[in-house]
Amino acid sequence: MKKAITITRAMVCLFLLTCGAAFAQNPARISVKGIVIDSSNTTLPSATIMLLTPKDSALVSYGRTETDGQFEIKGVKRGTYLLKISYMGYLPYQQEFTPSEGAVTDLGKIQLKPIMKELYEVVVRTAKAPLSIKGDTVEYNAASFKVPPGSTVEDLLRKLPGMSVDQDGNIKAQGQDVKRVTVDGKQFFGGDTKMATKNLSAEAIKKVQVFNDKTEQAKATGIDDGKKEKTMNLELKDEFKKGGFGKVTAGIGDKERMEVKGNYNKFDQKNQFSLIGLGNNTNQVGMGFDDFQDFRGSQSFNWNDNADFGFGGGGRYFYFGGDEGDEDLSIPIGGGRGQGLTDSYAAGLNYNYDTKKNKLSSSYYFNGKNQILDALSSRQNFLNNNASFNTTNNDYTRNQSYNHRVSFRLEKMVDSLNTFTFVGNGKLSKGNTRYDGLQQFFTGNSELSNQTTINNRTGFSSSAAALTGIYRHKFKKKGRIFAASGGYNFTNSDGDATQVSLNEFYKITSTNDLLRNINQFNSTLSNRNQLKASLLYVEPFGKKFSSETFYNFSTRNSIVDRNVKNNESNLQIDSLTRYFENTISYNRVGTSLRYNYKGINISAGVAGQQFSLRGNFTQPKKPETIVDQKYFAWLANLQGSLDLKNNRYMWFGYEPNVSEPSIKDLQPVVDNSNPLYIREGNPDLLPQVDHNFNVGGNYYNPGSFMSIYFGMNYNYHVNQIIYNQNIDSKTFKTTTKPMNITGGDNVGTYFGLGFPLKKTKATMNLNGNINASKNLTYINDVLNNTNNLSYYAGLRLDLTPSDKFTFYGNANFGITNTKYSINTAQNQTIYNHRFGAEMNVKFPKDFYFNSRINYNVFINERFGFNQRQPIWNASVYKQIGKSKKTEIRLTANDILNRNLNISQFANQNYYSESRTETLARYFMLSFTYNMRGVKDQMRRSGGGW
Amino acid sequence: MLLLSSGGVFAQKTEGVVHYEYQINWIKMMKKLPFLTQEEKDRMENTWKNDPDPKQKMNLYFNEKETLYTWGQDQQEYEDENWKSRNRELIIHRNFETEKRTDMLEILGKTYLVQDSLKHIEWKVMNQIKEVAGYICMKAVAEDKVKGQKITAWFTGDIPISGGPEQVYGLPGMILELDADDGTVMAIATSVEFKEVDKELTLPKLKGKKVNNQEFDAVISKYINDSIKMQRNPYWAIRY
Repeated sequence: MKKAITITRAMVCLFLLTCGAAFAQNPARISVKGIVIDSSNTTLPSATIMLLTPKDSALVSYGRTETDGQFEIKGVKRGTYLLKISYMGYLPYQQEFTPSEGAVTDLGKIQLKPIMKELYEVVVRTAKAPLSIKGDTVEYNAASFKVPPGSTVEDLLRKLPGMSVDQDGNIKAQGQDVKRVTVDGKQFFGGDTKMATKNLSAEAIKKVQVFNDKTEQAKATGIDDGKKEKTMNLELKDEFKKGGFGKVTAGIGDKERMEVKGNYNKFDQKNQFSLIGLGNNTNQVGMGFDDFQDFRGSQSFNWNDNADFGFGGGGRYFYFGGDEGDEDLSIPIGGGRGQGLTDSYAAGLNYNYDTKKNKLSSSYYFNGKNQILDALSSRQNFLNNNASFNTTNNDYTRNQSYNHRVSFRLEKMVDSLNTFTFVGNGKLSKGNTRYDGLQQFFTGNSELSNQTTINNRTGFSSSAAALTGIYRHKFKKKGRIFAASGGYNFTNSDGDATQVSLNEFYKITSTNDLLRNINQFNSTLSNRNQLKASLLYVEPFGKKFSSETFYNFSTRNSIVDRNVKNNESNLQIDSLTRYFENTISYNRVGTSLRYNYKGINISAGVAGQQFSLRGNFTQPKKPETIVDQKYFAWLANLQGSLDLKNNRYMWFGYEPNVSEPSIKDLQPVVDNSNPLYIREGNPDLLPQVDHNFNVGGNYYNPGSFMSIYFGMNYNYHVNQIIYNQNIDSKTFKTTTKPMNITGGDNVGTYFGLGFPLKKTKATMNLNGNINASKNLTYINDVLNNTNNLSYYAGLRLDLTPSDKFTFYGNANFGITNTKYSINTAQNQTIYNHRFGAEMNVKFPKDFYFNSRINYNVFINERFGFNQRQPIWNASVYKQIGKSKKTEIRLTANDILNRNLNISQFANQNYYSESRTETLARYFMLSFTYNMRGVKDQMRRSGGGW
Repeated sequence: MLLLSSGGVFAQKTEGVVHYEYQINWIKMMKKLPFLTQEEKDRMENTWKNDPDPKQKMNLYFNEKETLYTWGQDQQEYEDENWKSRNRELIIHRNFETEKRTDMLEILGKTYLVQDSLKHIEWKVMNQIKEVAGYICMKAVAEDKVKGQKITAWFTGDIPISGGPEQVYGLPGMILELDADDGTVMAIATSVEFKEVDKELTLPKLKGKKVNNQEFDAVISKYINDSIKMQRNPYWAIRY
């Protein structure tokens, strides 16, 4: 074994440089030699020899001992070195030396000491803890010794080698009494050694360090008496360093505007407890996304909570709360600005407990809302033969609603192969609405034809819950997975309504029809139960292929019991009173084959899907009607993605969606609750099938910060469920009936490009899309084909020249062309352009200024509509204190007082526009305290992590 | 007191492969970003703490003269998921005899081919020992000035090769554990096999943008600086 000396580049250099010099007896370069032996004088071959600088342990040179235990390190600069020798099974040896006279320094025999077997086995091997060695004494850091949960530090110490704890709790290390115990280097409760060891939990300890320290007396006097005493330091795990943060913002403005919000969050590695509350009358509905994350913590997003396995069932699903819908059980987030004038208030608490094996979470959230919606809207309805009629609405709506939500989730990893997840969400809601409206109908030449005055009062209360259980099993064979899920959902609601309306018809000759009053009271009880179950099996075939087979079952039972009576006579109105019950069952079996290798991921599959709809409708004094329909469909599925070199991705797919007709559309009953808008059902409806195709790609170059994306979607509707309309040309009474139609479609393309104009200072983003859609409807038995073609282009410029000034500008242009096949005179073009500019300036003394203008343009030449709306908001704020925990802000909203909440819509056979009275100009002074420090808003957060 | 020598200690084994698991702790990585507030960091940690960081299997082939570090499997497969992904180009070759480095790295949306002399790493050898993959290792620390990282390496004198995973080498024994920035990135040896690896040590056909040490360091440090200024995380697009 002559080749045992390995030489680094550094050493070779030194060696070559000094070779000649060494022969010339130059003492500036020396050789160091010696012989390494063990305690029984046996020489140790191939021991590692290192020369370090004593000052900072920098490695200067190294080598190895020969078979006879001799080593020689040649050609190192003359100087004091630390010689370090390591050899398996021995304590690393360390010695400082100054070279002797002459070219060779012989250190003679160097004896290594074996590592105590006990220490080695327990500390190094079992605990996988580093062992620290300083000179002759061993300081050891021990962690992860297995002790039962709930053990104290004392129990832990008993397990450590060389450590003993007597019955009174006195500690000995290497035979000596431990005089002092510190925690993270600090005295723990007045220096009683037992206080810490008896009270601290073993789980909280990361390291136990025992070392010799100067005596307290020596430390106090500064005179080193040479005595050393054993000291033990307990280093706490990072996770046991607890955290907490919170913030509160309160603001007050003119026009009685107010807002308050706050949250508090307390956490350690396992537990998180959070509180949130908010209230305002400034249309801020729901909490922001950041606040939601603070509130829900590790439960903000849950992978794999989707229990409805289907195509792509092996992938991950991303589930989190959505919009605030009637049946939405998750907490509303990012609600943005409410419509009209909205007062909102909410409060919640959340607790999460997370360990590797068990994850438990529960939350309660309450929110309420008072909303005033005063809207003025008009709608132009096109009939065939270029005829049309107009309606105008004056609506006054008052909504009140309250929701209580609870959630519970438990994820239990039984072992490395089996996991159970249980998710339960529930909601209780109550609300009422007052609606007062005046609806007027005008003929094409602007004559008032009829008008309706409505005064409705409704109230409801509902309860809903969704319970889901998922079991996942991984087999020993890698990639083989079995999963089963079951779910139960229910919704109960109880609603009452008083409907009062006065309908006046001016174009009717028969006096009987001239006036029609409605004054009725209805109560509706509805109840819905759904049972679901799914199975998934994934089988890998070699490295590249796998199959995914799934089965879904669902049965949903709905009962609606609706009683309508006349408010004056107190008699039941038979034509509107009904009871119906229906059950929709669903079975789907499918399988797909996936190729997934080296970035190419393609799957193709097929599924058979069966629906059955059964329903019975009962109306007083009429025979029971029964609907019994069964549908079956074969569905193919294709998905592909390519992860190409240098950050290029491509994807494509085909996916059909089948949606069953709603029971409301299937019921063969005429609904005349609105005398001017009669709904008929159609028991012959077929399910709608949408064929979706998509293809796209993106590219990102991190080096140049350039990104590109593009794509195309196509959607073809087969048996699309549309509502045919028959409009009485005299009364404008509309009768609708659902029907299937094939041939509607839409196609969209999109692209985006982002690149820096000047790196770190200016970034440009361009994007655009083109969409075309074809919508079919029958109007008075004539097929109307509405074609929408829209173009959109956007441009964004981000200027971030310095920490003191930032500017964000955007311009978006939108054009929509609508063409009608039967009423070509109504063809129109809508322009909707949006421009925005935001500026942030930082002034001295932590003063900041933010100004933001949005300028919206709506143009519809056909109706002579040309609306330009600038909304300008600005604020000045100051951060206070060194740690910047406080902020005072003065905000001016809608400085130009132009917020009108306008919306326009053109489709099928109507064009509508509406204006809702909303919050316009107001000023607000607000105060924020954030325990973690407030952040300025100079930069838009770009999600740059 | 007993000697803890196994039969193999005296026989030098100088050819084989070290299997590593490479793991990025992205919460720690994100905590390094200077443009995030403490609140944002806490929020992210609380939100994502249950999400495991995937482990990548890596191999280091070695003999007395050279080492070659590359992927340990032909694509990335993640433990709990059916997710698989393509391996980026990654070959880190060190020739200790000719003192040459050859790195083929797909980073920053490009494949770079770094061919130059070996840079000297200034190691400090510390006083701790621990076991990694059955070997007693000593601790050494260094600093990566280009990436601004604190490097901790655990090396064993029992494998007398100055190689290591990723970009570290130059200690009196094989580096079996690499820890950059207190656990932000770890490459930990799981096992060592001694066998003939001549075939695996042969460099494949090399392609990519040719750069030298200085040019490559300049690309990395400029990218890190620019990204931090643009408030983006630079560490995903380079091999941290």
